[in-house]
Amino acid sequence: MSAVAPPAAGDITREQVLDAYRTMRTIREFEERLHREFATGDIPGFVHLYAGEEAIAAGVIGHLRPDDYVASTHRGHGHAIAKGCDVKGMMAEIYGKKTGICHGKGGSMHIADLDQGMLGANGIVGGGPPLVCGVGLKAKVTGTDQVAVSFTGDGGSNQGTFLEALNLASAWHLACVFVVENNGYAEATSSRFHQAGVDVAKRADGFGMPGIVVDGFDFFAVREAAGEAIARARSGGGPTLLECKVGRYYGHFEGDQQTYRGPNEVEELRRDRDCLASFARRVTDAGLAEQSDLDEIDSAIARLVDEAVDEAKAAPDPTPDDVLSDVYVAY
Amino acid sequence: MSGAAIVGVIANPASGRDIRRLVAGASVFGNADKAGMVFRLLAGLGAAGVERVLMLPAADGLSVTLRRHLHARETVAAFATAGPFPELEELDVELEGTARDSAVAVERMVEAGVRAIAVLGGDGTHRVVARSCGDVPICALSTGTNNAFPEMRETTVAGIATGLVATGRAGDGALRREAALQVELADRATDLALVDVAVTRERFIGARALWRPDDVSELFVTFASPSAVGLSAVAGALQPLERGGGRGLHVRFAHEPAAAARTVHVALAPGLIVGVGVAEHRVLQLGEAVELPPGAGTIALDGEREIERRAGGSATVRLVPGPLTIDVDAVMRSSAGVAAPAQPAPG
Repeated sequence: MSAVAPPAAGDITREQVLDAYRTMRTIREFEERLHREFATGDIPGFVHLYAGEEAIAAGVIGHLRPDDYVASTHRGHGHAIAKGCDVKGMMAEIYGKKTGICHGKGGSMHIADLDQGMLGANGIVGGGPPLVCGVGLKAKVTGTDQVAVSFTGDGGSNQGTFLEALNLASAWHLACVFVVENNGYAEATSSRFHQAGVDVAKRADGFGMPGIVVDGFDFFAVREAAGEAIARARSGGGPTLLECKVGRYYGHFEGDQQTYRGPNEVEELRRDRDCLASFARRVTDAGLAEQSDLDEIDSAIARLVDEAVDEAKAAPDPTPDDVLSDVYVAY
Repeated sequence: MSGAAIVGVIANPASGRDIRRLVAGASVFGNADKAGMVFRLLAGLGAAGVERVLMLPAADGLSVTLRRHLHARETVAAFATAGPFPELEELDVELEGTARDSAVAVERMVEAGVRAIAVLGGDGTHRVVARSCGDVPICALSTGTNNAFPEMRETTVAGIATGLVATGRAGDGALRREAALQVELADRATDLALVDVAVTRERFIGARALWRPDDVSELFVTFASPSAVGLSAVAGALQPLERGGGRGLHVRFAHEPAAAARTVHVALAPGLIVGVGVAEHRVLQLGEAVELPPGAGTIALDGEREIERRAGGSATVRLVPGPLTIDVDAVMRSSAGVAAPAQPAPG
C-alpha cells in the first residue's frame, strides 16, 4: 500500500512469543530462586536482582544475533540469560564454583561469556557504555554489521562514562544502542533527587542522536522501539538512546531493607506492573499462544532452575591453583 | 464578567519522546524553549489585562527556567518599559509525572474559576485537558512538530488573544466549538479523541505512536485539513472539512491495490511521507455513531495506539461536541490593537 515503504513492521510470530516468554520466565524464576537461596547464606558476595525488569532484556536482546554484543550492569543476570549464557553455568558462577561460567572467580557481578557476545555484568556503575564504543569501533573498522548494546540504570546515566560514551558513539557514528533501565532509584536515592530532567532520553539531543522513552514493563513497547533502534544501528544509521521506565521488585542488593521506598510500592508493582502476567494475558487474548503452552514453559523452567541450584551446590570450589589461571589473555 | 481575570496554563514538560523521533525524525521543543513560550504567553496575557495565572508546576527545568526569565524581567533594565505581567501562582499539586498531573491541575483551575486555559503540549496533553475542562475555552498551542489539534504559533499573540477572551473583550467568533470522537467499548470506559480515531490490525499497543499505515483499516476525523501532519491528512486530501463545522469524515482504507478507489500521499509523521490507498469515505454528522467491524486489533486516538481490542467485542465511534477553543486569528481580527489593559502599570 505504501508508496514509500516504512521500516519493517516486525509483527510477532508464535515462536517468537514463546521464546520471549521463555526468556522472561527464566529470568524471573532464576531471580526469585536466588532471592530465597541468598537468604540461606550459601551465596558469597553481592547479588542484585533483575526481577520486574524482564521485558527489557527480552524485548531488546531478542533482536540481537549471537555475534552482537551486550555490555551489562551490576544487575546483569537478566541480560546474560537473554543473551544466551548457560543458566546452570551462571548459577554455579554465582555460587562461586569451579563449574561456573567464569570458573567461579567472577560471581554475580562479573558474569561474562564472550562466545555469546556477553561482555559481562559490571560492578562499575556506568561501566558498560564505554565498552560498547570499543566493540562498536571494532565492528566499524573490520566492516561487520554487528550491533553493540549497553545497559545502564538511571544512576549510571549520571556518570561521566555514560555521557562520554554517547559522545564517542555519535562522533564516530557507531552501531551502538544505549539502553537506560530507569527503575527510579540510584541504589537508595530516588531519581527525583538525583536526576536532572524527567527523561534521561533527552540527554541524547546534546549528542545528536535520537532519544526515546518506552514503558519498560511492556514487552511489546520495548520490542518495537528496540527493533527500530537496532535495525537503524545495523544499517549504518548510528546510535540511539532508549530509555525504559521500569521498577525493580527487590532492593538494590539482596539484604537491602528498602526504607527509601513507599509502604506498598513493591506490592503495587507486583500487582499492577508484572510484565509476565500482562504478556501472558495479551498473547492468549490475541490467540498467539495457549495458556497450556505457557504452563509447559513454566514447568520446564522451574525444573531447570532446580537442577541449576542443586548442581551448583554440589559442584567443587575453585582451588588455590586456579588463582593463577585466566589472569592474562594472549591476543 | 466580574472579578479578576484568571487564566490557567498547562505546559507539559514531558511531551514528545516517542518512536517517531527514531523512525521519522520528529522533533519537539526543549523545556528551555517551552519556558520561553510560557514567558511570552504571560506577556501577552498581561498586556490584555489578565491579573492572575495559575500554572501546573512543570518539572524538568521548565519552571526553573521560567522563574529565571521572570526574575530577569524584574531586575534587567531592558524589561523596564514592558507592560504589566500577571501574578503567577503555581498550583500545589503533587506531581506524578503522568497525564494525571494535567487532569488534576485542570480540575483545580476550573474550581478556581479560570476563564481560559492555555495549553502547551501535544495532542495527548490536549486530550487530557479537554476531558476535564468542561466549557472553559482552551488556547491550544503546539510544542512539537507532530501535532494536529494544537497550533504552532507565537505565544505572545496567543497570550493576547487568550487574555482578550478572559477579560470579555474578544469579538464574535472568538470561540470555536470543536468536535470530538467518542470511542465506546463494551469492556472499558469511554475514551475520547480530538482529531482522529484509527482502527488498526496491529495487535499490540507496542511503542504507541501509529507510524505504519499498512495495518490501518478505518479512520475517523473531527476535521480534515490537507496541510495536517498525521492520519487526519488522509481525510484532508479526500475532502477538506473545517474545524468547528460540526462534521467529520469516516474513511475506509484499501489493503489491496485493486480495492483502492484512489491513493493519496500524506505526511504521516514529520519526515515520513506515505501513500495510502483509500476504498471509500463519507461525511459523519454530529451525534452519528458507527459500529466498528468485529476483529482483534488496536484503536489509536490522535495518532497513538491506546486500546487493545479483543476479537468479538463491540466498539462504536461517535462524533460528539468537543471542547471550546480560542480562534486566535478570529480574536485578533476583531480586536487587534485593543490589547492594552484598563489600567496600565505605572512606570
